[in-house]
Amino acid sequence: MEALIPLPVLLPLLAAGVKLAIGARLRRVQGAISITTLAVNLVVSAVLLVQVDTHGPMVARIGGWEAPIGITLVADRLSALMLVTSSAVTLCVMVYSVVSAYDRQEDVAPMAIFHPAFLVMLAGVANAFLTGDLFNLFVAFEMLLSGSYVLLTFGGTPSRIRAGATYTVMALMSSMLFLIALAVVYAATGTLSMAQLAERFADLTPQVKLLVELLLLLAFAIKAAIFPVSGWLPDSYPTAPAPATAVFAGLLTKVGVYAIFRLEALLFPGGPVGTLLLWAALATLVLGVLGAVAQADIKRMLSFTLVSHVGYMVMGVGLATVAGLAGAVFYAVHHMTVQTSLFLVAGLIERRTGTTSINRLGGMMRGAPLLSLLFFVPAMNLSGIPPMSGFLGKLALVQAGLEVGGVLPVALVTAALVTSLLTLYAVAKVWGKAFWRETRADSEGRQDAGEEQVERSAVTIPGLYGPTAALVVLGLAYTVLAGPLSSLTERAAGELLARQPYITAVLGPR
Amino acid sequence: MTISLVPLLVCGLLVAAGVTLLLERSLVRVLAGVILLGNGVNLLIVTVGGDAGAPPLLGRSDPDRMADPLPQAMVLTAIVITLAVTAFLLAMVHRAWQLRDSDEVSDDTEDRWVRLRARRGQLGERVRARQAEYDLLVAEQRAELHVEPTKGERLAHRRTDRRKLKHRQREARRQMRRAIRAERERQALALDPELEGDD
Amino acid sequence: MEPLLILHAAAALLAPWLVRRYGRGAMLLLAAAPAAGFCYALVGPEPSARPWAPALGLTLAFRADEVSLLMMALVTGIGALVMVYSARYFSSGEPGLGRYGAIMMAFAGSMLGLVTADDLLLLYVFWELTTVFSYLLIGHHPENRASRRAGMQALVVTTLGGLAMLAGFVMIGLAAGTYRISAILADPPQVAPVALVLVLVGALAKSAIFPFSAWLPAAMAAPTPVSAYLHAAAMVKAGVYLLALLGPAFGDVTAWRAVAVPLGALTMLLGGWRALRETDLKKLLAYGTVGQLGFLIVLFGAGTGATALAGVAMLLAHALFKASLFLVVGVVDRAAGRRDLRGLSGLGRSMRWTCGAAVLAGASMAGLPPLAGFVAKEAALGALLDDPLVLGAVVAGSALTVAYTLRFLWGAFAAKPGRRATRVKRPAALMVAPAALLAGLGLVLAPLAGWYETAMAVYSDAFPDQGHATHLAIWSGVGPPLLLSLLSLAVGGVLFLAREPVARLGAALHVTDTGVAFWHALRRTDLGALQVTGVIQRGSVPDYVLLTLVSLAGVGTLALSYGPPLSLDTPVTWWQRGEQPLLAVLIAVAVVLALRARSYLLLALSVGMTGYGVALLFLAHGSPDLALTQFLAETLSLVMFVLVLRRVSNPPVEARLPLALRLGIGLVIGAVVVVAGVLAMDARQTQPVGDLMAGAAERAGAGNIVSALLLDIRAWDTMGESTVIVVLTLGVTSLIYLRRTSYAIGRRPSRPRPGRPWLASALPEGDRALAFEVAARLTFHTVLVLSVFLLFVGHSQVGGGFSGGIVAGLAITVRYLAGGRDELARAVPMHPGVLLGVGLTLSIGTALVGLAFGGEALSMLAADVTVPLVGTVHLSTVLLFDLGIYLTVVGMVQDVLRALGAELDEQIEAS
Repeated sequence: MEALIPLPVLLPLLAAGVKLAIGARLRRVQGAISITTLAVNLVVSAVLLVQVDTHGPMVARIGGWEAPIGITLVADRLSALMLVTSSAVTLCVMVYSVVSAYDRQEDVAPMAIFHPAFLVMLAGVANAFLTGDLFNLFVAFEMLLSGSYVLLTFGGTPSRIRAGATYTVMALMSSMLFLIALAVVYAATGTLSMAQLAERFADLTPQVKLLVELLLLLAFAIKAAIFPVSGWLPDSYPTAPAPATAVFAGLLTKVGVYAIFRLEALLFPGGPVGTLLLWAALATLVLGVLGAVAQADIKRMLSFTLVSHVGYMVMGVGLATVAGLAGAVFYAVHHMTVQTSLFLVAGLIERRTGTTSINRLGGMMRGAPLLSLLFFVPAMNLSGIPPMSGFLGKLALVQAGLEVGGVLPVALVTAALVTSLLTLYAVAKVWGKAFWRETRADSEGRQDAGEEQVERSAVTIPGLYGPTAALVVLGLAYTVLAGPLSSLTERAAGELLARQPYITAVLGPR
Repeated sequence: MTISLVPLLVCGLLVAAGVTLLLERSLVRVLAGVILLGNGVNLLIVTVGGDAGAPPLLGRSDPDRMADPLPQAMVLTAIVITLAVTAFLLAMVHRAWQLRDSDEVSDDTEDRWVRLRARRGQLGERVRARQAEYDLLVAEQRAELHVEPTKGERLAHRRTDRRKLKHRQREARRQMRRAIRAERERQALALDPELEGDD
Repeated sequence: MEPLLILHAAAALLAPWLVRRYGRGAMLLLAAAPAAGFCYALVGPEPSARPWAPALGLTLAFRADEVSLLMMALVTGIGALVMVYSARYFSSGEPGLGRYGAIMMAFAGSMLGLVTADDLLLLYVFWELTTVFSYLLIGHHPENRASRRAGMQALVVTTLGGLAMLAGFVMIGLAAGTYRISAILADPPQVAPVALVLVLVGALAKSAIFPFSAWLPAAMAAPTPVSAYLHAAAMVKAGVYLLALLGPAFGDVTAWRAVAVPLGALTMLLGGWRALRETDLKKLLAYGTVGQLGFLIVLFGAGTGATALAGVAMLLAHALFKASLFLVVGVVDRAAGRRDLRGLSGLGRSMRWTCGAAVLAGASMAGLPPLAGFVAKEAALGALLDDPLVLGAVVAGSALTVAYTLRFLWGAFAAKPGRRATRVKRPAALMVAPAALLAGLGLVLAPLAGWYETAMAVYSDAFPDQGHATHLAIWSGVGPPLLLSLLSLAVGGVLFLAREPVARLGAALHVTDTGVAFWHALRRTDLGALQVTGVIQRGSVPDYVLLTLVSLAGVGTLALSYGPPLSLDTPVTWWQRGEQPLLAVLIAVAVVLALRARSYLLLALSVGMTGYGVALLFLAHGSPDLALTQFLAETLSLVMFVLVLRRVSNPPVEARLPLALRLGIGLVIGAVVVVAGVLAMDARQTQPVGDLMAGAAERAGAGNIVSALLLDIRAWDTMGESTVIVVLTLGVTSLIYLRRTSYAIGRRPSRPRPGRPWLASALPEGDRALAFEVAARLTFHTVLVLSVFLLFVGHSQVGGGFSGGIVAGLAITVRYLAGGRDELARAVPMHPGVLLGVGLTLSIGTALVGLAFGGEALSMLAADVTVPLVGTVHLSTVLLFDLGIYLTVVGMVQDVLRALGAELDEQIEAS
């Protein structure tokens, strides 16, 4: 079964390589290859999840090299769960982009670009979830970042170049920070294996420990878009092509969050950074949602809620209890799904009307009832309306926060609830204006003078609704599966905080 | 391990120079900053990763005197990645220049838009406050004009009062409108109509 | 209970289809769902519980005690009647009727769940669902701005309360160790008063109690059946129900009473007073409802057995008469086409049945015997006798109730002097019947008060504080309650007779409205959000970079100031190798040049120089592989710089920050980085893993440890990095070629040449440097051989796929530089992307082969093969992997040269 672990990384890469090698020929097959690969990925990840849930963490030793020498890939409950969710989400997005022919419309450059970039990005995401080596995590980040640079600047329109510059520069900052942290880590401990690091960090002086922790945290915080290093996200995500934005929103920040989970739980359990994280979570939650309230564009509004809701997950980590971490993991699973589906819906809206500005949209409920439903359900889910998964995650976090007690946790619980309310307000504003209000433009938005309007089709492709609806339904399914899912996240959090199962699996029993 | 200061100072220098260039708006300079920063950090990894020594070649060097190969492998990977990023950023520089004759990283327009709307919101609040003041004024004037006590006079006065009141109201309203128009002219877009006062 | 909820859900899902098929008649079919619920309530359901998400404390638990049953009967019964009414209220062509039916069913189901949930969290789930569905129902006519605004207001206010309530619930649940309501009631936990206050905020917001009351009158923008159901009978009762439910556990807590009773009494007075000057009949009723809800909150907030008994009686009576009255308004509205009392006259004559129902329901509302409202009011006055202040408020409120009831009946049905009778259409029987039925029930149920009291005794006895004993009876003799009742009737009558001055007085005393305050607050929120976002979201990359750097500096300072002061145990020297200071000077010079460079080309050159300097430092450190790669990479990036910079002039872009400041920040960051490195070196206590690599490389059979690391031990990293190369090369192509499909290198339409020339250069004669071209041509193959050599010796010597690939790439570069793009096409006559793809496939293939045959991904398989003549050859998949890297790098150089070189050439020529 260990042989399955590298597959989520290798299969997309193989598909990417084959696609490039066959070149522009067989364009039609491209979509089929991608979809098949991702479907297989989903199956593999699901099998992995079942396996690790019954047998505990599993380890693949790449090249047959043992842990501190070689690179290990580790699948535990957390990574397998993240992997399953991301596979499911990306499968839907891939179907969406193939059906919408984004891959072909946007992929008219001389080489097949969309699919390889997309697949490498996904491989990077999977690698980041699985790796048990800190330097390999850096490489995984570079993989997913390089894919995202390309997807973000597709077509090279002015706004995408501007957004691409913001995004690239900030990502490079984060990479440089990560490298500095790696230098410090290796200098201080002489190892890169995370399991061994977990052991060796314990012996360091508190000064160096804190230094390493904060450096890594800052590097990951940029990726996860946590205040004060969150500003780049709303400036860059909304301009990318819809499927790309959807995947960015769903996965990329979660990779940063995942890295923070590992960092805080595995490498630096306890310690003074928890309080700092809580403050950061507080600021991220509140400032992010205020940004969402201030926006007049659906995609930007969603980007700000994305930033804001990362605060929920950081809050769970900062609480440093099993309940808090379990809530954070649950929220991450929920958020990956819902945020992605909302961006896909935004893409549908843009495709239908040529704009996502709520000042220009109108009358969509009359004009596009199905689209309205597809927006409304995940939007309510995002706002944490029960019994949907957003509520369940929030509930877990509120419970965890009140259980811990104290001024800061209670302040965070308050902030979490206020954020929920303001998210609802922001979403309701969109609903009221874009969907309820009838305007002269009435669902026939005008083509913007801007040069980068997505090709707008009067006839919406029904096939596009399929993958979007599938994601929306997946978001709802978490409600039905709340029992098993919440106990799984609790087990995952318990395993994560216990640390020993992971360390033993990688380094062998001591 | 031995801390050797000169390579470390070079690292610091490269990082400092990299940061200095990174804070500019020109994409080429930012790229140069990234490369300098990358060189500095790569050097840092090797320098703090272990002492200088013989090349890590089996059979050529004494294994005890070899430099630590692991940081070298890390840096090799990092160098190649930086090379690829350089190529990509150069393509972006070219595209930016092609589009706008400049490789300057411009500010996000939507964010500027938000700032503008915040300003507009403040102006709107001021307009609203003035409107309220005006309403109060009218009410006061109305009360002022209704003090005549005697019954006979009241009927006679009422008509002139009403005319006077109307005139003053009209005048005040005109002033008000002028003020509002002046304010509104500075607003590119009307306020969010969903949020205006309760009617 | 679950089957019933599923029935409602199914009805909701089917509703659009049913409406499309049967038109408005579908409402009659839909009415079956709540009707089934009503029958079930009469049969008497059993409590049930099954786990949902135990980790979160969520249980699908349902209760079936007296209050729940009462509420269940009310919401299902009135729900069914309202659906019947809807079948005629809407015209057949009403747009959005399917949506209406669906949401009404969904709402009815949620309401049913709310009143039967036996789990605080489950109750919250249904609670919020009713909020959302009510939002959608209020916005039934979304083109109407008032509807949208009312929907938003209701949504925000009730959700605000709901979230506060959720926090309260969680606090109660944590204190009690369970969220099961029955368990909490059986053994009330000690909870902080703040938890109860939070719960009350939720209840009060939902039941439109001051200061949350404004949303309810605004919600009258909804269609009348919605108002009758949601805003009179069902949803607004949720808060009251919650108080009734938790009363036995927390009714005697001071905080509970101190919040609920005064606010309830105040609301009762304010609502009644406001109703006296409302002219829209629906709004008049809405304000009346607000007042009555205040009354109910007073009764349940007082938290005694007696007041609770009066409360449940009032709950029933109010639901009956208020739903009936709303339905009547709808009938009038549809029949007369208006509902402003100033425009209606003489309807009592033309609409006898409707008028009769209204009078009956109104009498119950005013508290006239022998109706249910009278019974409840008597009991309430009796129960409150001990508390004169509250009693006074309630009597005053009752007087107001009487007054606005009279005003309503007079306004709707009386023939007004000097006004012609309004012309009306004959109302449908299906519309009048539900109203009449509900009004009649008030009459029928009043004599059953004694039985009702017995049935409710279990509930009211559960209160720890029984209060002043009271009874439900249609006649309980002449006592203080009856006298107070008469007093309120008399005062009410007077108020009605003096309605004009009262209305004027009300208008004059009117200061402000919580609705105005709400919109003001919302506007302030919006403005605040804009201002805050404007400040923190600058949209400028240097700002974000600066913020990150400041964070880094902060992080460094924080960590350094943490723990004991700095003390180094590690030996410190200036340098370990003699070359180092020399190289340091070289690099410093290059850095200064880079900082001072105005031209981009100079900048690129000086940056490249630092790169070469660093390469030499690597060499001095003992890493020849690194030095070679750095050297080659630096060269290639210089070439790329030059290729791009020939197109890009350097405009004098001003940095936002002055140089000194930027340099200062840079020095701080540099210091942080160096100090961090020194600290880390000082902290090393254990043997580094790198020391194990010599042995590992030996096992791998490689002489060069770094190359063993790259190609075998840590080949996974290398694989990742080669994908980065591939993807970013794609990115270059994407940015240069944009959306053009043609990728052929455009040949210059040059003069025809005889045969196939040895030199393919397309440069004009004057530009050709023949010697260079020939040299490039001649050295090309030699360099290629060198690159292959590097590829092969990498295993034991300095070299490897990367360096080999770059060398080959540089050979191609030289040919391109010498001979232009035609030479490039000749040098690598291969479709772009193929090299990248093949290279990537080779690397990944090696990994998969290792996985398939070696058990682990990237397991390197080796075999010694005897080849005739050559002898034994050591073959390993390492070579295959390295070849993949080599090809990838060559492919990257090829594509970059095509894009940044050949394509830009063409663009330059075209421009």
